[in-house]
Amino acid sequence: MKDTPNLRRRAFLQALPAITAGTAVLPAKAAEDDAAHRWAMLVDVRRCIGCQACTVSCIMENAVPENSFRTIVSTYAVKTGDTTGTYVLPRLCNHCDDPPCVPVCPVGATFKREDGVVLVNGERCVGCAYCVQACPYDARFINHDTGKADKCTFCAHRVEAGLLPACVETCVGGARIFGDLNDPDGELRRRLDAARDEVKVLKPEAGTRPNVFYIGLDPRFQGRVDGVAALWKPSEHGG
Amino acid sequence: MNAPIVEVVNVSREVAWLPWAVQYFFLIGLSAGAFLLSLPGILLRRPAWTGISRRALLAALLCGLTAPVALLADLHQPGRFLNFYLHPNFGSWMAWGAFFIPLYLTGLLLYAWLALRPTLQGLANEGGRMAKVYRFFAYGGHDSRAALAGAAAIAGLGAVLVLLYTGMEVMVVRARPLWNTPFLPVQFAVTALAGAIGLVLILERVLGVSTPESSARLNGALVNTQAAVLAVGAAWLGLSLSGLSPAHAEALALVAPSTAWRLTAVWAAGSALLTLWLALKRPHGGLLAGLIALHSAWMMRWTVFIAGQEIPKTGAGFYSYQLPLGHDGLVGIVGTAGLWLFLFVLLTTVLPWSGRDERAGA
Repeated sequence: MKDTPNLRRRAFLQALPAITAGTAVLPAKAAEDDAAHRWAMLVDVRRCIGCQACTVSCIMENAVPENSFRTIVSTYAVKTGDTTGTYVLPRLCNHCDDPPCVPVCPVGATFKREDGVVLVNGERCVGCAYCVQACPYDARFINHDTGKADKCTFCAHRVEAGLLPACVETCVGGARIFGDLNDPDGELRRRLDAARDEVKVLKPEAGTRPNVFYIGLDPRFQGRVDGVAALWKPSEHGG
Repeated sequence: MNAPIVEVVNVSREVAWLPWAVQYFFLIGLSAGAFLLSLPGILLRRPAWTGISRRALLAALLCGLTAPVALLADLHQPGRFLNFYLHPNFGSWMAWGAFFIPLYLTGLLLYAWLALRPTLQGLANEGGRMAKVYRFFAYGGHDSRAALAGAAAIAGLGAVLVLLYTGMEVMVVRARPLWNTPFLPVQFAVTALAGAIGLVLILERVLGVSTPESSARLNGALVNTQAAVLAVGAAWLGLSLSGLSPAHAEALALVAPSTAWRLTAVWAAGSALLTLWLALKRPHGGLLAGLIALHSAWMMRWTVFIAGQEIPKTGAGFYSYQLPLGHDGLVGIVGTAGLWLFLFVLLTTVLPWSGRDERAGA
């Protein structure tokens, strides 16, 4: 009996990295998944320089109206002792596996495709903004030009044409890695597997299972940030 | 700046449920509450409630007819409402609402017509230029209690479902801890009933038909609703402070550090207490108590919706909201108030709602 390994303890210890608070449980290679692709993004915060090139390219690519953003690099001044540093955090729709925006839509305009991308059917959307309320990441907004729900699409139109999302294409530091979780040799999967214990998602407690993963995500910024409010509001500062 | 974290760049999301939404939730709640107040006098034929219930029916109609217009306006393009019926997603409370609202309004209009038929016949019998119109709408002028009970059942079911869905629709939003509290639907319902009583108190005075008896009766009802408002508020706070309900505790933790929110809470509790005191001490009054009860019902919804959306889900601090003067803001409030006023003028011009006219028409 003494030589029999304690399976329960071993299982527990092996699982520790996965249950560490805030650590994302990486989706397995979706062998059983019928979809050919399963798109996701990895944001390596350590490489982000906060230049907002992604913000601008997204606006240009997707004709995002003035004062609205599908992605932005949240920037914080963080004081540690006597020194103050900068922390940057690119934000976008997390294309969750359990997206709270989908079930609330009264007309089924918001949906999740088999390839993992969460989209809005503009023809059907009534602009009720229920999905905007339901999103835990403040990733959605009502487009002033269309009066309908708007959000990051992972640049689905570009991806379908074999291109990368605009924000990935323009990222100066190579902080955004986009790819297919089903591709075992793809950069996304390799990077995720290599950094398995460091990979986190935003608001893991929300149970939404995001498909935007982060390396270098400071726990203080993982949920609602406890700090002093934004100094900049585009509509009040000349866009 | 000595704070450890200062947000330098982030998007400040605008409120997505506009003042139109506040107006809708306020008016549909008042309508449902007023409909319930109309039942003792109109359906149950309790003599002491006859006049009150007649004014309550007027209030239910005025608010019930105005509310959906505010809701349609919030869609930015009213024709979009068709998609609610072409592509309903029944996993969403809002989708159910698209069916509950017509159910309630159909029941209410039918109930109002059946209740007013004898009055319309009386007006037709008086003659005059409008006699033909009154006769047409009276359609014989029969007073059928069975039909009235049937219509009241439809409207009653609709009213309960409207109160249920409006509360649940907001409560299920987990992303907003302030909304995601089990007491919210109860708070909506109780304040709606209190607001409806307040509105009837005001209408009684505006129409010049208030009597000491009717005021005392309405103030008595107001005492009960205000006591309920305060009890539910105290229970909300108790659950939050004790940590018995994590949802409530999270909601309190979000807003407690804010001076503006603390002031709002004191204001809300003070308004409820003042209304309670007025209703107890001045049972024959009613204008002030009615106005404050109405204001509390509106302010509760404004705070939940507009101030609730000022709480960022990921960002720091609070978003700042200033009421825009255009269609996204003030127009939503003034517009619905204008429509309500127009309907008030119309309905009080063509139909009698005072006791004296009722006798003449009966």
